[in-house]
Amino acid sequence: MHPAFSVILFTVISGAGYGLFLLLVAFHLAGIGPVMSHGELIAHGVAALGMITVGLMLSTGHLANKKNAWRSFMRFKTSWLSREAVFAVLFYPFAAIYGLGVLLQGHEVGPLAAVAGAIAAVLAVVTLFSTGMIYGCLKTIRQWNTALTPANYILLGVATGAVAFAAIASVFGNATAMHAGVAIVLLLIAGVLKGIYYFWISRVTGPTINTATTFNRATVRLLDTGHTAGTFLTDEFGYDAGKNTTDTLKMGVFLLAFGTPILVFAAILSGVPAIVAWLGLVAALAGVIMERWLFFAEARHVVRLYHGDQHT
Amino acid sequence: MSALPEFEKHGEQEIKYTTCYMCACRCGIKVTVQDNKVRYIQGNRHHPINKGVLCAKGNAGIMKQQSPARLHQPMRRKPGTERGAGEFEPISWDEALDTLSARLQKIRETDPRKLAFFTGRDQMQALTGLWATQFGTYNWAAHGGFCSVNMAAGGLYTTGFAFWEFGDPDWDRTKYHMLWGVAEDHASNPIKIGLEKLKRSGGKFVAINPVRTGYQAIADEWVGIKPGTDGLFALSMLHVLLKNDQFDWDFLVRYTNATQLVVQTPGQKGDGLILRDEAGNPQVWELEKEAFVDGSQVDIKPALFGEYTAPDGRPVKTVMTLLAERYLADEYSPENTAAVTGIPAEQTERLALEMAHVAFKETIELDIEWTDSWGRKHDKVFGRPVSMHAMRGISAHSNGFQTCRAIHLLQIMLGSVDCPGGHLAKPPYPKHIPPGIKPAKECAPNTPLKSPPLGFPTAPEDLVIDDDGNPLRIDKAFSWDAPVSNHGMMHMVVTNAVNADPYPIDTLIFFMANMSWNSTMNTAEVMDMLRSKDENGEYKIPFLVVSDAFNSEMVSFADLVLPDTTYLERYDTISMLDRPISEPAAAADSIRHPILEPDRNVRPWQEVMVELAGRLKFPAFTKDDGSRKFSDYKDFIVNFEKEPGIGFLSGYRGKDGQSHLRGEPNPKQWEAYIENQGFFLYHLAPNQQFYRYANKDYLELAKHAGWVGKTDPITIEIYSETQQRFKLAGQGLYDGPQPTKQEHKDRLTQYFDPLPIWHKPLEQTRIDEDEYPFYAVNQRPMFMYHSWDSQNAWLRQICAQNYLYMNRQKAESMGIEDLSWVWLESHNGKIRVQVKLIEGCEPSTVWTWNAIGKQKGAWGLKPEANESQKGFLMNHLISELLPKKGDPIDNITNSDPVTGQAAWYDLKVKITPAGPDEQSAWPQFDEVKATPGMSESPDQLRYHAHKPVHLNRDIRDVLTRGSLDDEKN
Amino acid sequence: MRLGLVIDMDTCVGCHACAVACKQWNTSGTTGPLTDYRPYGEDPSGVWFNRIRHYEVGDYPNNKTVNIPMSCMHCEHADCVNVCPTGASYKRPEDGIVLVDQDKCMGCNYCAWACPYGARELDREDGVMKKCTLCVDRIYDEQLPPEERQPACVITCPAHARFFGDFDDDASEVSRLVRERGGVKQMPELGYKPVNTYLPPRITRSIPTDDVRANTLITSVKDWVNKMVAR
Ligand SMILES: Nc1nc2c(c(=O)[nH]1)N[C@H]1C(S)=C(S)[C@@H](COP(=O)(O)OP(=O)(O)OC[C@H]3O[C@@H](n4cnc5c(=O)[nH]c(N)nc54)[C@H](O)[C@@H]3O)O[C@H]1N2
Ligand SMILES: Nc1nc2c(c(=O)[nH]1)N[C@H]1C(S)=C(S)[C@@H](COP(=O)(O)OP(=O)(O)OC[C@H]3O[C@@H](n4cnc5c(=O)[nH]c(N)nc54)[C@H](O)[C@@H]3O)O[C@H]1N2
Ligand code: SF4
Ligand code: SF4
Ligand code: SF4
Ligand code: SF4
Ligand code: SF4
Ligand SMILES: [Mo]
Repeated sequence: MHPAFSVILFTVISGAGYGLFLLLVAFHLAGIGPVMSHGELIAHGVAALGMITVGLMLSTGHLANKKNAWRSFMRFKTSWLSREAVFAVLFYPFAAIYGLGVLLQGHEVGPLAAVAGAIAAVLAVVTLFSTGMIYGCLKTIRQWNTALTPANYILLGVATGAVAFAAIASVFGNATAMHAGVAIVLLLIAGVLKGIYYFWISRVTGPTINTATTFNRATVRLLDTGHTAGTFLTDEFGYDAGKNTTDTLKMGVFLLAFGTPILVFAAILSGVPAIVAWLGLVAALAGVIMERWLFFAEARHVVRLYHGDQHT
Repeated sequence: MSALPEFEKHGEQEIKYTTCYMCACRCGIKVTVQDNKVRYIQGNRHHPINKGVLCAKGNAGIMKQQSPARLHQPMRRKPGTERGAGEFEPISWDEALDTLSARLQKIRETDPRKLAFFTGRDQMQALTGLWATQFGTYNWAAHGGFCSVNMAAGGLYTTGFAFWEFGDPDWDRTKYHMLWGVAEDHASNPIKIGLEKLKRSGGKFVAINPVRTGYQAIADEWVGIKPGTDGLFALSMLHVLLKNDQFDWDFLVRYTNATQLVVQTPGQKGDGLILRDEAGNPQVWELEKEAFVDGSQVDIKPALFGEYTAPDGRPVKTVMTLLAERYLADEYSPENTAAVTGIPAEQTERLALEMAHVAFKETIELDIEWTDSWGRKHDKVFGRPVSMHAMRGISAHSNGFQTCRAIHLLQIMLGSVDCPGGHLAKPPYPKHIPPGIKPAKECAPNTPLKSPPLGFPTAPEDLVIDDDGNPLRIDKAFSWDAPVSNHGMMHMVVTNAVNADPYPIDTLIFFMANMSWNSTMNTAEVMDMLRSKDENGEYKIPFLVVSDAFNSEMVSFADLVLPDTTYLERYDTISMLDRPISEPAAAADSIRHPILEPDRNVRPWQEVMVELAGRLKFPAFTKDDGSRKFSDYKDFIVNFEKEPGIGFLSGYRGKDGQSHLRGEPNPKQWEAYIENQGFFLYHLAPNQQFYRYANKDYLELAKHAGWVGKTDPITIEIYSETQQRFKLAGQGLYDGPQPTKQEHKDRLTQYFDPLPIWHKPLEQTRIDEDEYPFYAVNQRPMFMYHSWDSQNAWLRQICAQNYLYMNRQKAESMGIEDLSWVWLESHNGKIRVQVKLIEGCEPSTVWTWNAIGKQKGAWGLKPEANESQKGFLMNHLISELLPKKGDPIDNITNSDPVTGQAAWYDLKVKITPAGPDEQSAWPQFDEVKATPGMSESPDQLRYHAHKPVHLNRDIRDVLTRGSLDDEKN
Repeated sequence: MRLGLVIDMDTCVGCHACAVACKQWNTSGTTGPLTDYRPYGEDPSGVWFNRIRHYEVGDYPNNKTVNIPMSCMHCEHADCVNVCPTGASYKRPEDGIVLVDQDKCMGCNYCAWACPYGARELDREDGVMKKCTLCVDRIYDEQLPPEERQPACVITCPAHARFFGDFDDDASEVSRLVRERGGVKQMPELGYKPVNTYLPPRITRSIPTDDVRANTLITSVKDWVNKMVAR
């Protein structure tokens, strides 16, 4: 698949935003970790909502007909993209009530704000899940059509959110071993899952040029696509990254998205000033951008079979 | 459920019927026009040719009408600029016609042959030929000489009709079809319609072709033959038929010259000619009477086999004896031909026997009463349901005439000629063998020719040569170089005119021919020739007139450009005097009429021809009082009569429009055609549909309609005396003109033969085949017509770059990769091309699509267009002259030595990988300039005849209706 | 009703007529115009609803060329519709035709991702997704003569390799062809249940030659004895 930069940035940034929001609510309402100052709460909240909003705005970037974007709420019934849009929007009023509570009441929010916060946190996860399902539900792309896809989206969102949470906390001098520990655990799970994913997609399954053309008993080769130049289909699905590039980038993903932040938090645990969490955040975001790019670049749509690929 | 809106406002639309001209197939079209724009072009389902279907080109007519390459006004080469630079200035039609007619007038008054007029893929040879005849120059021909004259000649000298546009397989009844060397052909739609019928009815389709694409894709059996060897393959199948005693004895006796006796006196005059009585009647041996009798009589029992001694003592043999002696020989056995043709012996034998089985064990019987030429009634028609069709894979080789005859011979042996299930003639064919017209030999000032420029020689007397045996025509047609060049030799015109060989000319008119590019051999050098000047600085071709509708490569070389209309903008006829649109069971002709008003200052060439003819006062165009006979083309078509009652259009004649085929002019004839959807169809009665070479009722109708000159039966010529006469001339045994040069003598004795022979294509006898190991051929893409369609925004999306296709395993063995660039080199030059690997290609053959490569800037294409940057023309490699060996043959045309058919597909090449910095097409040429009036080609197109109609679904519909799964939930 | 096409791979010669007919009809049709990019420049491209692809099955010399025209299959399980967030894509329950409502589409490409058959193409100029309409603007147009109420691609096909009809009607030509010729679907394993069905190449009958083989082969002209055949 052609990796659209706006989509990559959208999913990475808003994913981290949702993750950050989830951790904020969890630490705040469930009372995990140290008590946060009013300022820190606001900082987390603003950052989370900011990332989410910027991400969502970016997501319309790839729409060819933006004036109809509002219509994307219409097919909640069947479309994960519609659901994502609905949940993403639904998230805002609850997040707003919670945010208002925090703004007005500080750490000790009232029950309304607390319940709203909890609902918003659930919606954040549901939105992440929906985003994952946008890709996960496509039978046309075997690299995506797996439960690992939404799991990845959620875990990477939450893990990068955890890194961001720790980084912001460090500014308020409030980053604790708890922050680091949670981040390390989430990063580890996400990393392992990503590893499983890469292994899983390396096993070739699904339709082949034979089932695509219905000729199952001999080698089938493309003679001519029927058009000299590229088409929408070749532009959209014809992307080929090359194995060398993807292998290198995969190392980069593990190094930047998981390795570096885990090391950073390990360092923090062993006494290095918590402010280095920002380094972890930069690495994690860069790594996840790579991960997202690969997610698209390695996805091979079945239409490619008609353009000559033997399998996807 | 929301209802659908009204999509088309039929009230604002108008429907008109005319004839497609996106190619020469001439399908009927139904054009929906809205707002003076074409909404939709569809096939006319009542039309005999296409029966409602339309090909890719026909469907893209809108984009031809939109072409940015359309010429806008008459132009002349800007004074002071060089020919070929493409610098033009617009002039008025008056000025253009004044200049031209003044010049032509002078030529006509002095030496009319100084005008050479050659036409390309047009469909108006009846008019252009008449025009040239009236002008008085024999230097006229259409494109047939480089196209497929071999097929025409092969048929017309054998069965009286032919493949190409003169006959069709009986698609409704055939059970076995063999297709030889056809990628698309002129019957583009009919062949597709026919193949589907054949397959649906369970018939077998065998395709003989080195390449498996297009029609061959759906063949039940693909015979991947080596190019140029079909003649041997056909004769090898003939060998199998003879060996197994499988031939139609009755048919051969009744309708062919198989029983006629041939004089056997080698080395003496008269050898190889048919034994005739005083009156010229062919003699046969009557088995009951045991005597020589006139073989043209009926109810005799002639011997098919036998050797006898004629009353004058000369030994004679029947034609069939000679045939069997020749083809029973071991050299024709499948085992021995396999190495040359590449076809395993088993396959050759099996295919021959399969045809025999279908012809003789699956014979068709129809209860149709008919009367033969001798007045005998028969109550049945028998059909041998094996049919064949062949075209340029056969034709475009220098042995194509003989090969074509060999294929017809197979059909004759099987008795599948103009019978149910076989190969059927299309009116006005069959004709007597050959048709009775002889080529004009004399030109005189201010005098029309005595006969048309082109005709059918039957003996050396008919050649168009002077007393010394030198060619008289500028293309050297009908000379010793190519005696039976029935269609002229357009591919030689530029070379000969520039070399003043046989003489210089003054004015050259090209109509609808891209002779500086895809339609010429040796393109790059021909471009130089067109620009070449003599020592006085004058152009060797002093004045070059081009009639074109588009900014083709040819236009830049013109001194005067006469811009034509598009096919949707003019009156035109597809005339019974030419090659009409007839079907086997119906005579038919058709017209075009303007569907759209031209938005440019252009005129139909038809009008220009009639106008010039009037100005030059051609007798046929001038009244006794010296005034013009015809006001315009429409008037000409209505009122011109070739002979009483016969004109360009055969339908709706007579004052009341009720006489068909022959009748007085009808002033409302155009209206009648337009009303009848642009065509006229005359159905033959069942008793006139078969055996038309000896069918009384048919031949009488044909005589009435002027299709044949006499009602005598047509005897199919297995044995061609015409061939023998020329052979004798070569041997020095002919009473009449004989060649004086050794090379001509050799060619006549070697390549003329009364019974089909196979010989190596000529190019291959003059090069080192080890050095050039690959055969190189072209195919027509189904979605492109020659050079015309690169200007078509839709069609060029399908293919804007051609590749050199080669067999994958072969390429891999040479280390050549898919999509790599290679050098392709022939004896005549080299080009750089990109390779694509394919399974379906005979390993020693490479091929490409014809005419995709374009000169930069031509056809309204941008300089960066794929056609010029990556596409290529094979033509650069093909020489119009035979490969040089330092002998007198060096200057002889690269054509079939019999017919002068351009030998495009004799080409042999070598392939070497191109270097890393050689990753583009070569050669490249200067950019063709836009001509005045052309606007910049757009960067985007959004053609539509009307605004899209909104579906207007309401919100409830949107919310509740998704997929069907929704509904089921 | 379950409307769709049957395409006969036994007779399709790959001529592209149906593709161009489709382009021609639909550029002025309900989802027109179908924009062409760089029509006279490098790498010309544009929006098409029907594309013909050419394949080779098997290795030389046992190779067969097949031409496969592809347009929207009007799938029973049309995921392209399910995934569309705006409701621009919809499947008509009354006949199964899958359409895009240009006025509602936001050009997100998601439906094209969900389509296994490459049937959807975004018009970059209009910013909306376009696809085969099964010529809904022809087949229901009662002002057209009945025999012309057929998709443009079907009407034009010179090899009669395309058939239009109702797959729910057992007596329809399409149902009959699918039954008799063993119609096949592309990538059935994906579960889209495409309605359009392809007919595989026919098996050719074998032609006996025993009955035309001579017991003793003729070796010379002398082997023939003349028959008394009257002219
Ligand atoms: N779409 C389209 N239709 C056209 C035209 C066009 O440009 N486009 N042009 C028209 C014109 S002018 C003409 S003359 C006709 C020509 O129509 P075709 O006769 O179909 O001409 P070609 O495309 O030259 O096809 C020649 C075929 O013969 C094969 N071949 C080459 N050499 C040999 C050989 O030695 N033996 C055998 N058995 N096969 C061989 C080639 O692979 C190719 O398939 O088409 C007409 N129709
Ligand atoms: N290498 C190779 N070369 C070949 C062949 C091959 O197989 N291989 N085939 C040969 C054969 S068979 C043929 S017939 C020739 C084709 O030879 P041509 O007859 O030359 O065919 P085109 O190049 O299509 O068109 C000639 C010109 O007609 C112009 N034209 C189009 N429409 C109109 C019109 O309405 N009015 C006027 N006045 N002009 C118009 C076009 O713009 C173009 O410049 O090519 C030959 N060249
Ligand atoms: S075959 Fe195609 S281009 Fe040629 S006349 Fe027919 S519809 Fe037109
Ligand atoms: S028009 Fe018919 S034969 Fe031609 S590509 Fe389409 S389906 Fe095949
Ligand atoms: S072919 Fe593609 S666009 Fe058409 S219904 Fe099926 S999934 Fe949808
Ligand atoms: S591109 Fe248009 S039709 Fe396709 S999913 Fe998006 S909104 Fe729906
Ligand atoms: S049914 Fe209509 S829209 Fe669909 S491919 Fe055929 S012509 Fe195009
Ligand atoms: Mo031709």
